[in-house]
Amino acid sequence: MSSEVSTMSSVGLEKARGDLQWVLAATEDAVNALVAAFGELAKDANSILHLASTVIDCVEDESVRSVLPNVQALGGTAQQFVGERLQATSGVLDTVTTETHLLRQLSRVTESQAKIALEIKILNVHTKIEVAHLGTVGAGFEYLARELAEFSQSLAHSTDELTGHTHHHKIANEKTQSMLAVEVPHLRAELERVELCLNDDLEVMSSGLNRLFSTPVLFKQSAEEIAEQIAGVVVAVQGHDITRQQLEHVHEALAVISRKRPIDGDTEGWSDSDIAFSHAGLAIQISQLASIRTTITEWATQIRMCMGSILRISASELVGVGPLVLEQEQSMSFQLSHIDSLERECQSYGEKLRSTLEGISNLSELVKEHIQKSESARNRLRLLTFNSVVEASHLGAKADAICVIADGIAEVSVQWGKISEQSRGALQEILGLSEKINAVMATFSQTGSKKLCEAQNQTKTGLDRLRSAASFALMQGKKIETLTSVMRTKSNKIERASELFDTCFVRIDAVVNELECMKLDLESKHPGVRQRYDESEIERMFSASYTTQAEREVLRSALNGTVFTGVPQYATGNGVELF
Amino acid sequence: MKRILTVDDSASVRQMVCFTLQKAGYEVAEAVDGKDGIAKAGNGKFDLIITDLNMPNIDGLQLITAVRKLPGYSFVPILMLSTESQAEKKDAGRRAGATGWIVKPFNADQLVAVVQKLVK
Repeated sequence: MSSEVSTMSSVGLEKARGDLQWVLAATEDAVNALVAAFGELAKDANSILHLASTVIDCVEDESVRSVLPNVQALGGTAQQFVGERLQATSGVLDTVTTETHLLRQLSRVTESQAKIALEIKILNVHTKIEVAHLGTVGAGFEYLARELAEFSQSLAHSTDELTGHTHHHKIANEKTQSMLAVEVPHLRAELERVELCLNDDLEVMSSGLNRLFSTPVLFKQSAEEIAEQIAGVVVAVQGHDITRQQLEHVHEALAVISRKRPIDGDTEGWSDSDIAFSHAGLAIQISQLASIRTTITEWATQIRMCMGSILRISASELVGVGPLVLEQEQSMSFQLSHIDSLERECQSYGEKLRSTLEGISNLSELVKEHIQKSESARNRLRLLTFNSVVEASHLGAKADAICVIADGIAEVSVQWGKISEQSRGALQEILGLSEKINAVMATFSQTGSKKLCEAQNQTKTGLDRLRSAASFALMQGKKIETLTSVMRTKSNKIERASELFDTCFVRIDAVVNELECMKLDLESKHPGVRQRYDESEIERMFSASYTTQAEREVLRSALNGTVFTGVPQYATGNGVELF
Repeated sequence: MKRILTVDDSASVRQMVCFTLQKAGYEVAEAVDGKDGIAKAGNGKFDLIITDLNMPNIDGLQLITAVRKLPGYSFVPILMLSTESQAEKKDAGRRAGATGWIVKPFNADQLVAVVQKLVK
């Protein structure tokens, strides 16, 4: 049995050395491939980070950032703009209603005037008859008859004129009223619609913009994590130089152990120191191989983690956010053009109202003129009455009829006075309306529109910038997507390289098993072999070629019968110590 | 462009040094061992040399001694990049004429920072 084991051991050691030779070559190939691939990946990651940074810089531009506040401000200005016009329009409606009342009042005035004109005409006829009846004595009243005729004609003319204007204005008023009946609800509906649409669009755009602002940042964070993982792998696989030396040292140590055996077979006849040397040597190499396996496992874990991140990273969100924002920007631009057309509509509507309302000013001028004429007419009537009464008193009883006419004129004068008062009242109201109209028209002036134009221009500039930013994000996102796809393809190649490590594990495990069997065999044949070590001698023999602290630590742990757990940390790498 | 020579028998380490320093804007040449390193240093002018310690043919310490004797290399910075971290090894390096010592694996950012400082 022991001879069989010894023979197996000898062959086993050679086989183990062969396996280690294979592992050395395989890890060298795998590491070289990985270093090249990760170098490429690091370049790709850098390019991605650069692209992501350009997107972040672009979307963090002040004019893009101010799009939302600008749109909000525009919404407020537009609402104020339309709201003021809506209020003004309601004022116009009040004005038109009052005007209708005034026109009715004026119609009554003109009707009364027409009656007075008729009465004066009758008085004129009576005066003419009486003048004829009086003969030469009544010659003094011919003047009265002429005055009455002229006055009657002028009054009829003035009445016709006022009636015509009132009628004309009544028609214009009806048109305005019917226009307002349509326009006010329309304007109110438009105002509500603008408010609603702007609010909706603002809400949607706000979420879109937040995505536009946050997506590149989040993507960059993921890309930075990957870049760090890549750098970590690059640092970790540098440890290959240590592992390679460790493997070479184990390979050499197995040769030394093999040479140390005097007989290729049974251990019978071996000295205690030979047995102890072989046992300690095997224990050290087993520990070294375990440490190598742990290191390679660490690499494989880091590589797989990094590849997992590369496979998971996606630029689709980044690519998707551009068109989304562009779509929202289009919708917002549509709202903007709608506000634009609403503004134009308000302006032309203002023009219509202006021409209609200008009629009121004309009417007030006409009524003012009419009142002035009325005043002078009343004075003339009073004078005529006075003259008639004086002339009639000279004639005595012959002129009784003239006295009656004079009374008639006096009565007409009183009536005329009343009408004049009515006209004056109407004029006051018309003047009041004119003031209201001026206020209304001021609302439709350019000032409000200018404010809106400024807000529109600011928003348009912001939206233009946003459109460029979203297009840029889309363009860069596509480049990033291509790069991530390239990285994924490269990571597949890495997968193949890192699979070599799995094969290495199988080989290393086989070697460790082989060495463990040999060690156990020695322990079973030579109980207490552990106590026979000359540790310093063994350390001197095996560590002569060691170049790392880790190897020495592993050796000491193996000699102490403990397991070396301190796996080297390669996360950041070592710094430079300048002399 | 500043020129750097990396001397190491490990292809992957040479690759990583090249990758790190080329990315930082340096021109990097490679030598596979001490003998190759001395030959390349003699044939061209380098602003800095990074060498491994344990290499076949001629090791890092011998390389430094030989390079220091080459014309124009008396004050050229030479960094040792080794798995060794023992004080006596570092002391040997310093005595041979090394400017600094880096224990593998190296930190890329720190390596670039030191190289920038040394070749300025």
